[in-house]
Amino acid sequence: MKEKSRFKTKHSTLNRMSAIILTGVSKKYTIHHEKPTFVEHIIKGSHEEFWALKDVNLEIRKGERVGLIGPNGSGKTTLLKIIAGISTPTSGRVDTHGKIVSLIDLRAGFHPDLTGIENIFLNGMILGLSKGEINKKLTSIISFADIGPFIDAPLFTYSSGMTLRLGFAIAIFSNPRIILLDEALSVGDQDFQKKSQREISRLSKQYLTVIFVSHNLQEIYNSCERIITLNKGKIIGDAMRKNFVI
Amino acid sequence: MNNLNKKYLKYYFDFLWTMTEKELKARYKHTVFGFLWVVVNPLLQMIVIGFVFRLFIKEPIANYYAYLFSGLLVWNFFSLSLTKATPSIVYERSLIKKAKFPNAVIPLSIILSNAVNLIIALFLLGIPTAVVGLLTIWRLPQLIASLILLICFTCGLSLLTSALNVRYRDVSFFVQALLIIWFYATPIVYSISVIPYNLMWFWRMNPMTSIIQLYQYIFADAAPPGLGMLTINLVIMSFISMLGFWVFHKENKYFDDWV
Repeated sequence: MKEKSRFKTKHSTLNRMSAIILTGVSKKYTIHHEKPTFVEHIIKGSHEEFWALKDVNLEIRKGERVGLIGPNGSGKTTLLKIIAGISTPTSGRVDTHGKIVSLIDLRAGFHPDLTGIENIFLNGMILGLSKGEINKKLTSIISFADIGPFIDAPLFTYSSGMTLRLGFAIAIFSNPRIILLDEALSVGDQDFQKKSQREISRLSKQYLTVIFVSHNLQEIYNSCERIITLNKGKIIGDAMRKNFVI
Repeated sequence: MNNLNKKYLKYYFDFLWTMTEKELKARYKHTVFGFLWVVVNPLLQMIVIGFVFRLFIKEPIANYYAYLFSGLLVWNFFSLSLTKATPSIVYERSLIKKAKFPNAVIPLSIILSNAVNLIIALFLLGIPTAVVGLLTIWRLPQLIASLILLICFTCGLSLLTSALNVRYRDVSFFVQALLIIWFYATPIVYSISVIPYNLMWFWRMNPMTSIIQLYQYIFADAAPPGLGMLTINLVIMSFISMLGFWVFHKENKYFDDWV
């Protein structure tokens, strides 16, 4: 299998089988109640702190489909952000292998005044694709998104479903090796949900790693082989589906 | 490894250019005059300021309109870039939260799109000044050097303010206030020769003094900045720019926590 290795981080501790290794990862947020201002910072000096993740150790193998569950505020989204490299852990180490695409917000990164094609280039480059790669994939992206003649129209004329399909198409055609889903596919219509699920299953057979966050336990149970439970920033459960008790 | 860096560099500049195109396209979409606005605004400003200051300034400056126009174009580029780039990271929070990508392209693309405007405007200014014989072909290398200097300094300062603005939102208000004072503290509408010698140190500390003087020298045949002034200004500019790159590089990892 050909590996895309353009933006990978150091992976000296990774063996060939693992996609993600988190070692002692913690994340601290300072709680700011209002807009942060310089004056406030000087006067108050200290801040309230909140640990979103506390000493998380986790290894995820290539091709694994992992479900992440836990109550609100248990650190699920923070964990995804740290894996994606959007957020930096306060302490600990993150090693990932292969390109990561987060489907956390599919509508982000589009400009309403630009056309569909112009937005494909913009969004694709944010996801780390080069201009040449986007050119090659342009027709597949357009046909998967199924937005027909609207591709030359500015994005503000799109329905929200069309924007969503375009966002998903770009993400899926950006050659990810790891996909992070944050209830992203629970939006959109039935056809779109089925189509995207099929696409993820297909890619999953090619050793695509999927991490899936949802509150819908049944959905997680149906589509993931490993289920990790988070609570208050700690992993409190990690079981294969066959051993998992609902 | 070398190959990987080259590929990344190509990606970086392609990305920067795509974002710049986005800025330019989005700015002039749905406008009737489009790029014409680049010239119309400073032209109006020049006519008004030129008219008003003629009444106040005792010692007339030679080629005053060319002097004023070159200074105003450069100042407008600097001031518009800084006001737009400073809050840019906060405005583009949806991008920051979407993926890991070189965040610096957000403020840099704003500056680059303004630079495209500036170059067009300077070209349009070049035609009449060349016709009356103020601008000659020999000034071209100096013009290119001045452009590089101006763009680099604007980039460095904008990286500094945009990174700090993520944590301290006061920065963008501070920049707006500073720019108003800065405009009058820079010899754009007046000549530096009216400054008393004992206050000169203040103008020497202002890096925009010699930048503006360079353009006035090129387009209006005004006196070029003195060597001492240029050296001090260059040192200050390099210091601010390096500080900007360093702060942005350091803060960049924590943007997501604050937007």
